[in-house]
Amino acid sequence: MKNEPVILIVEDDEGHAILIRQNLEAAGLNNRIEHFRDGQAVLDFFFKRGPGPASEPNQMYLVLLDIRMPKVDGIEVLRRLKGDPELHKLPVIMLTTTDDIREVERCHQLGCNVYIQKPVDYEKFAEAIRRLGLFVMLLLVPPVKSA
Amino acid sequence: MPPVEYSALSKEELLARLEAIERERAGSEAELLAAVKELGDVKAALDEHSIVAITDASGKITDVNDKFCAISKYAREELIGQDHRIINSRHHPKEFFRDLWATIGRGHVWHGEIKNRAKDGSHYWVATTIYPFLNAAGKPRQYVAIRTDITRRKEDEAELQRFAADLAEKNKELETIVYTVSHDLRSPLVNVQGFGKQLQRACEKIHAAALEASASNGLVPVAALKQPVEEAIPQALKFINAGVTKMEMLLAGLLRYSRLGRVALNIAPIDMNALLASVVAAMKFQLDEARAEVRVDALPGGVGDSVQISQVFANLIDNALKYREPSRLLRVTIDGRVKAGQAIYGVADNGIGILLEHQPKIFEIFHRLDPGATTGEGLGLTIAQRMLERQHGKIWVESHEGSGSTFFVSLPAA
Repeated sequence: MKNEPVILIVEDDEGHAILIRQNLEAAGLNNRIEHFRDGQAVLDFFFKRGPGPASEPNQMYLVLLDIRMPKVDGIEVLRRLKGDPELHKLPVIMLTTTDDIREVERCHQLGCNVYIQKPVDYEKFAEAIRRLGLFVMLLLVPPVKSA
Repeated sequence: MPPVEYSALSKEELLARLEAIERERAGSEAELLAAVKELGDVKAALDEHSIVAITDASGKITDVNDKFCAISKYAREELIGQDHRIINSRHHPKEFFRDLWATIGRGHVWHGEIKNRAKDGSHYWVATTIYPFLNAAGKPRQYVAIRTDITRRKEDEAELQRFAADLAEKNKELETIVYTVSHDLRSPLVNVQGFGKQLQRACEKIHAAALEASASNGLVPVAALKQPVEEAIPQALKFINAGVTKMEMLLAGLLRYSRLGRVALNIAPIDMNALLASVVAAMKFQLDEARAEVRVDALPGGVGDSVQISQVFANLIDNALKYREPSRLLRVTIDGRVKAGQAIYGVADNGIGILLEHQPKIFEIFHRLDPGATTGEGLGLTIAQRMLERQHGKIWVESHEGSGSTFFVSLPAA
């Protein structure tokens, strides 16, 4: 069993994805990091559909999920992951630029574990990602069997 | 005066009594005349202001004033002997009148607003008070209904409600736009801030390398400079510039949208076939390049601002081109019909269509279905919607994913 979780960044903005990755690395993480550009791609990955890569059995994953994406948005991805009996164990961390109470509520209702705001105050964002990095390193993420 | 045995009185006593009775009678008669005159004056005053009807205990009309005849458009003879069913508008449910009769039948006054129907079928609203006149036993022997015409007030109330609802909707729309734009602006801002920091770090690395060099042999090792100069700095600058450009574009788009509210409109009857012909001609190059065909049927005339309406149709055809199905040639058909005073035009394409859950989003500001695959700001339909609303028109869509979309545009018919 592979202990180190693979970190999946689901984010349509290329710049944001690079910033997140660089900050995770700066925090000392050397987990494998995969980037998905939209919700559909990451759903195909977990539900083993479509032409792209598919999740591996006995591999732990941690999902960083952006809320606003074209086609299938973060809320919808969260809903489908949490609706699946196996996949709902996946730790999901929502990333967003919003601090809207309604959106936060909706995420919590759907069962998301953590919610990080991408603030314009970059230091806070970088700090949150750094802490996330430490959190991941200490985390014992249970392996998710394939859907 | 107390009753007396007249046969027991003397002639003088009888005379005195007669005179006293005569005086009393004259006084009573004068009082009566005064009371009658006062009543007559009050009734005349009432008739000047109000609509009055008197019915007997069973509800049959026994008297009406001139104002009642005027507003109901019936002659007095047509009303006397009828009951109020003659002016029933069918607006109120049966319980309404049952309740009314139960109240006045018990001898109580009834107040309310009633919608009635005049002889010519038109309707009017009256604020009504029905007052029962009771007999000695305390039961109603006749009813007097006094009314004032409030038709105008009811119409104004309805219009006010419509305005209020309209305003509430516009406010919600505005709130949504402010929300959307502030989010969309944050995204490039995160990049500008974030890569600004990366730029700073790269410069710090270069600075550190320079300091180290000056401390030792004065030579800066190329290896120390490679990453910041060749990778970090260009990458940071790329995203900073892209972010700034994006923010500028969003703000420009927002300004364009907000200016729409202030542009003066030139409303006139439009020859829609001529308008579509020039729109299609102006797009000839793109249409030919895509080998697309646009067919325009005979269209009914509409009333609006021709410059803005041209923009609306140009945008719809442009969208059809953008979202066409690559495996078949684009065919666009434009037709029109008149329905209930509105000219409704349909722009139908055989493109990729729109998923049902995406359909409401397409009119949202800055929304784009597939930003990776297409160009555009996501403003075209939002602006089209605003333009049409200002001209008392509408825009909506019917679509099936995979087979195509039809956009409908309505304008007041010419």
